Amino acid sequence: MVGAVEEAQLNRLENQVDNGGGGAWEYLCLVRKLKVRRSEKVLKHGLSILNDPKQRSKLGGEEWTLYEQVAIAAMDCQCVDIAKDCINALQRKFPESMRVGRLKGMLLEARGSWKDAEVAYSSLLEDNPLDQVIQKRRVAMAKAQGNISGAIECLNKYLEIFMADHEAWRELAEIYVSLQMYKQAAFCYEELILCQPLVPLYHLAYADCSAAIAQLSKGRNKEDKDSSELHTLAAKTLEKEYKQRSLTKLPLLTATLRNLKLPS
Amino acid sequence: MSFGFMIGVFGVLILAHAAYSTIQYRSLLKILEEEFSGLPMNVVGELLLGLVFCMWAALTVPGKFLSILPYSEENRIVSLPDNLDFMVFNHRGKVFPSKMDLKLKR
Repeated sequence: MVGAVEEAQLNRLENQVDNGGGGAWEYLCLVRKLKVRRSEKVLKHGLSILNDPKQRSKLGGEEWTLYEQVAIAAMDCQCVDIAKDCINALQRKFPESMRVGRLKGMLLEARGSWKDAEVAYSSLLEDNPLDQVIQKRRVAMAKAQGNISGAIECLNKYLEIFMADHEAWRELAEIYVSLQMYKQAAFCYEELILCQPLVPLYHLAYADCSAAIAQLSKGRNKEDKDSSELHTLAAKTLEKEYKQRSLTKLPLLTATLRNLKLPS
Repeated sequence: MSFGFMIGVFGVLILAHAAYSTIQYRSLLKILEEEFSGLPMNVVGELLLGLVFCMWAALTVPGKFLSILPYSEENRIVSLPDNLDFMVFNHRGKVFPSKMDLKLKR
């Protein structure tokens, strides 16, 4: 969870590193801790550390974690060669490792060779059938190929075994919302709220889902007054949240729309 | 920080000295065969002084305290972490040309 203090620190470090000040390693550690996805910057600054042998030897044992981070960032930015070099370096150091095997599978995914990636993941799962991350990668692969129903099936099977994984519940909820299956998404969000009741963003997402369900069923069922209290509360919370967030952006939006000229 | 640390060390030394004085006072009482009813006033004063110094050092040396209220402004959760386990690589970022010709030197 990214708090307000951590976000300010991240932005400050990012500005500092972008403008030439030091602290690239601190920035990379913070990105890794907060699990944000800033692949371009990670790639740029990570490579600058790795290409400098003095800074690399200063890291000691942590340079391999940096190799992994830079490899994933390179795959995200479509620089497959850099990723391949990093993975080769890791392979030389840790020849029989599961993590390196997983990275090689991700490289095949990034190249687009889905069948080879599937084969690689299955062979890794044979040795270690209860590896969580590889099963999640299979779901991600199904999603990337556009096979959403296959992804949902895989994810449901995964959640039957690992019920406490909140990231997977969140992913399932987002997939259901993208397919407009709001009742199932509301169930997933309820699970999330049960695991982590102090995260306000899950409550807001749940309110969103309930409001959507209410709106969709308003036309069909005019006598349903009992469950509408939750939905009106949800709508009120959302209104407050939108007002708070859009206070600065609304004037900008109206000005842009006013200046927009439609081609006639 | 080092000033607070010195005060802390000083406070611990005062407490140690007070302990030593108490032991000496008890051995004196054993010689005089009297009951150990209370400490002499200067030892009690020394104890209080040592307590004040140690408390002050303990509060100032560790640095800034973090807030524990979940709804204080500092702890307000701004965004959720991106689900990196489910990251896909065939997004629309492929059409942006990669501006850097960086390579990993080996």
